[in-house]
Amino acid sequence: MKVTKGRSKSAAILFGALLMGAFVPAAFGQNPKLDIQNLEPLAKKASEVVDVNLDGALLRLAGKFMTDEDDREGLEIIKNLKGIYVKNFEFAKPNEYSQADVEAIRGQLQTPSWSRIVSAQNKPEGETSEIYLMTASDGGTVLGMAIIDAQPKELTVVNIVGPIDMDKLSQLEGKMGIPRLGEVGKESKKVEGHHEKSK
Amino acid sequence: MTPFEEKLRNALRREAAPEGFAERVVARTRRETQPGAKAWWQFWAFVSARVFRWALAAAVVCVVIGGGLVQRHRQDRLRQEGELARVQVRQALHIASVKLNVTRKRVQEINREAPSSRL
Repeated sequence: MKVTKGRSKSAAILFGALLMGAFVPAAFGQNPKLDIQNLEPLAKKASEVVDVNLDGALLRLAGKFMTDEDDREGLEIIKNLKGIYVKNFEFAKPNEYSQADVEAIRGQLQTPSWSRIVSAQNKPEGETSEIYLMTASDGGTVLGMAIIDAQPKELTVVNIVGPIDMDKLSQLEGKMGIPRLGEVGKESKKVEGHHEKSK
Repeated sequence: MTPFEEKLRNALRREAAPEGFAERVVARTRRETQPGAKAWWQFWAFVSARVFRWALAAAVVCVVIGGGLVQRHRQDRLRQEGELARVQVRQALHIASVKLNVTRKRVQEINREAPSSRL
């Protein structure tokens, strides 16, 4: 009888530990994957939609097919990633999405583990660009990245889960068919804003 | 009459046939003399053995070909999924890279403009 009690106690402790293991990171916001499903309805209003949902398994599968020379940098970047999620909506006319749509994403980034490292706002034009990073408690390891780029006729949310090298990502410009910034045609807009380092 | 002759006479003496013997002989004779009956059974035995062998061979061929087709279909699907994932990775990295650089560029512009606006 005592043995049974002891076993059930051990099982209860084990179960509790597993439960804590499952919920503690979530409670402290350690999951770098954002819930961006709330943006799905915008697809109906958008004239152009890019919706990318790549979990770890799909990234590994993609990696096997990235054999071209110009895929090398991209392969290096995705090597250790656990997911890439992108939603990009282009609208025919402005104000097709609401601030609530953006706030729903931004709200998830207001946990202590996320830091807004860059924010650029052009209030007259109604443009906002923000970059968030989630770092491990040691402060060095990047666990995930989020980019919110809200323009009157375009909304983009990028969520990269896993250790992302921002410099390497930035350097992809001009490679893998990615145009250089000068070719994008959005850099010449006059902006006001601020550069906010992590809090 | 010697004892041997006596035994021989006993052995060769007439005996009445068992009950229903004549009917059974007649019935069997009729059955076997029906046109084609025996031949049909012989033919069926021959054919069925051959058909079985052919059917078995055909089944094996079907399994091998079918398995190959399924495997090929799976590989095709995996390749398609892989190619699609590759395109999506490129697209995602494209957008992420461009947005990252656009944001950085904007911040740089802000920082450049900020001192001049103070003058």
